[in-house]
Amino acid sequence: MSSPSIEVQDLTKRFSLGRVALEGASFRFEGPGAVGYLGPNGAGKTTTLKLLTGLLRPTRGTARINDIGVTQSRRQALADVGAIIESPEPYPSQTVAEAIEMVGELRGGRRGHLAEDLGELNTQLDLPPLDQRCGRLSKGQRQRVSIAASLIRDPRVIILDEPTNGLDPKERILIRNLLIDLKKDHLILMSSHLMQEVTEICDQVIFLNQGRVVLKDTVENVSTRFQSRAVDVEFAEPVHIDRIKAIGPLVQDVSVVGVRRYRITFDGSTTARAEILRGLVGLGPVIAYQSASLVLEDAYLAVMQDDGTNAIGA
Amino acid sequence: MDVSDLPPDSVQWWTVVRRQLQFYLRTWRFVGLLLFILAVSFATLGFQIAYHNSGASGVGNYLYGAVESVATFGVIIGAFMGGDAIAMDFGTGTGYYVLVLPVRRIVLLLGRYTAAFLATFALALVYYAMVLTGATWFYGISSIPWSDLVASLGITALFVLAVLAAAFLFSAFFRSPAISIVVTILILFLAFDIVDGVLSVTSIEPWFSLLYAGQASALVFQGQPHLTVTHLMAGGRSITISAWTPYIWEGIAIMLGYIVVCLALSAVIYEAKESKG
Repeated sequence: MSSPSIEVQDLTKRFSLGRVALEGASFRFEGPGAVGYLGPNGAGKTTTLKLLTGLLRPTRGTARINDIGVTQSRRQALADVGAIIESPEPYPSQTVAEAIEMVGELRGGRRGHLAEDLGELNTQLDLPPLDQRCGRLSKGQRQRVSIAASLIRDPRVIILDEPTNGLDPKERILIRNLLIDLKKDHLILMSSHLMQEVTEICDQVIFLNQGRVVLKDTVENVSTRFQSRAVDVEFAEPVHIDRIKAIGPLVQDVSVVGVRRYRITFDGSTTARAEILRGLVGLGPVIAYQSASLVLEDAYLAVMQDDGTNAIGA
Repeated sequence: MDVSDLPPDSVQWWTVVRRQLQFYLRTWRFVGLLLFILAVSFATLGFQIAYHNSGASGVGNYLYGAVESVATFGVIIGAFMGGDAIAMDFGTGTGYYVLVLPVRRIVLLLGRYTAAFLATFALALVYYAMVLTGATWFYGISSIPWSDLVASLGITALFVLAVLAAAFLFSAFFRSPAISIVVTILILFLAFDIVDGVLSVTSIEPWFSLLYAGQASALVFQGQPHLTVTHLMAGGRSITISAWTPYIWEGIAIMLGYIVVCLALSAVIYEAKESKG
C-alpha cells in the first residue's frame, strides 16, 4: 500500500458575490507525519478542509487524497479518511457506542471487530459512558466522541479542524498525546489557533492568509528563520532594571513582567542570546531563561504582518 | 484501509436505514404522533361504540369513511418524519458527522427515505388497526373485505412514499429543520387544500394535488363518481361547484409521479448542496 497523501493543486473557492475564500492553494504532503494548517479567522483554513472532504466543491483546481480526486470520486477518496470539520454532532438519540459503531459499519467494520476497536478508543480517549445518549453530552464529550468516530477502522489520513476546540486542559493533553502517537503511521492535517499545540504535534506547517498560502515549510526550518526576538529571565532575587539594560548594546529594551521576571528584547540572533545570558548570570542567580513567545507564534505574526513577504517555501 | 474495504452501497444503505429508523423511533415527534393517532382513533371508536352507531350504512361505507382521513394524517405525519431529512445535514452539526464519511449521498438519501417510510407507515398501520377493530366490532370479522383492505394499505404505502418524497424535496431548500417541517405542512396540507377549494368553482381537476390523489386509498372500499357538479344560487347568481374524485389508477399515477419527480430532484439538490455554514 502506498504512503498516505494529501494534495491540492491551484485550489480555489469563491462564494456568492465573488467572495474569495481560497485562492490558488497548492501543496502536497505524503507519508506519515503531522501538518499544521494555520491562519487567522477567515483565512480559508476550514474552506480547504471542507474542499478536501467534499463538503464544498472547488471553483477551480483539484483536491486529492491518496491520489484520488475528491470531486470526481468522493466516496473512494474518503475511504481512508477520518475527518472532523467544524462541530460534528452525532444523532442526539444515539448512544455513544451506537454513534461510533455506525461510522465503523459504514466504513465496512464487522460488529465483533468494531466492539474491539471501540474498547480501544474508549481507553485512549476516555470516552463518556458508552450507553449515554449523544444529545446529553457536553461539548467536550461530544468532540471526543467525534474524534473516536473519525478514528474507528483506523483510516490513514486524518483531517482535523481545530480538534481541541471546546476541550478542557486535561482533554487537550489527551488528544495531543494521541495525535503525537498517531502521526507515527498516519498523515494528519490539522488546523488550529493554538501555536503551542501545533509546535508540539506537527512536523510541517502551512500559513494561510486571506485565502492564500503564504508559508509552507517544516517546523524546524521555520524555527531557524523566525527566531524569537525576546527572552524572559527570572532571577532568584529582584534585580534593578537599569543593571539589565547596562549589560550592553545587545539589549534593546527591558520591561518588568513579574516580581523577579523581566522581558529582554534583542535582535533574535543566537550569539546575542548567549551573550545576554552571560551578562545576566553576572547580575545574580538566574533560575529561568527562555523565549518570551513560541517560535511559531513569532513566525505567524511576522508572516501575517508582512502578508507573505517573509514567506519561505510557499 | 482503502476503497476495497468499503462495503457495497446496498450494505451502507441498510446501515443507514437501521440507524435512521432507530433515530426516528426514539424521537419525541414519533411518540407524539403515535399518541395523537391513538387518541383520535380511540375517541372516534369510543363515541361510535358508546352511541351504538358506526355512522355508516355498511362495512364498505364504514371503511371508506375511516380511511378517507388517511390522506390528512399521512400528510401531517409524513411532513414531520421527512420534513427535516436533508435540512438536518446543513442546519445542524449532523451533516459534519455523516457527510465526511465514504458514503454516496444518494445512499444516505435513500436510507433515510426508507427509514422515514417505515416509521410513517408503522403509524399508518396503527390507524388501520384501529379502523379494523371498529369494523370488526360493528360488522363482524367475516364481513371484512380483506383484499380491498390489502389494496388500500398498498395505496396508502404509495401515498406515504409520495408525501415523504415531497417532504424530502422541501427539506432540501431549507437549512433549518424546524422551518422545513413547517413549510412542508403548509404546502402539502394547507396550500393544496386551499387550491382544491378554489378549483372547485372552476372545472379544473386538481390532478397536481397530493391530497386529491390520497383519496384513492379509501376509494377501493366504495367507488365515487369522478365528477359531481352542483349548481347553487347565491345573490341571484348561479354558481357551479365541481367536486372531483380521482380514479384509483389516476391517484396511483399522481403518487408515482410525485415519488419519481420529488425524489429525483431531492437527490440532485442533496448531491449539489454544499456545507457553507
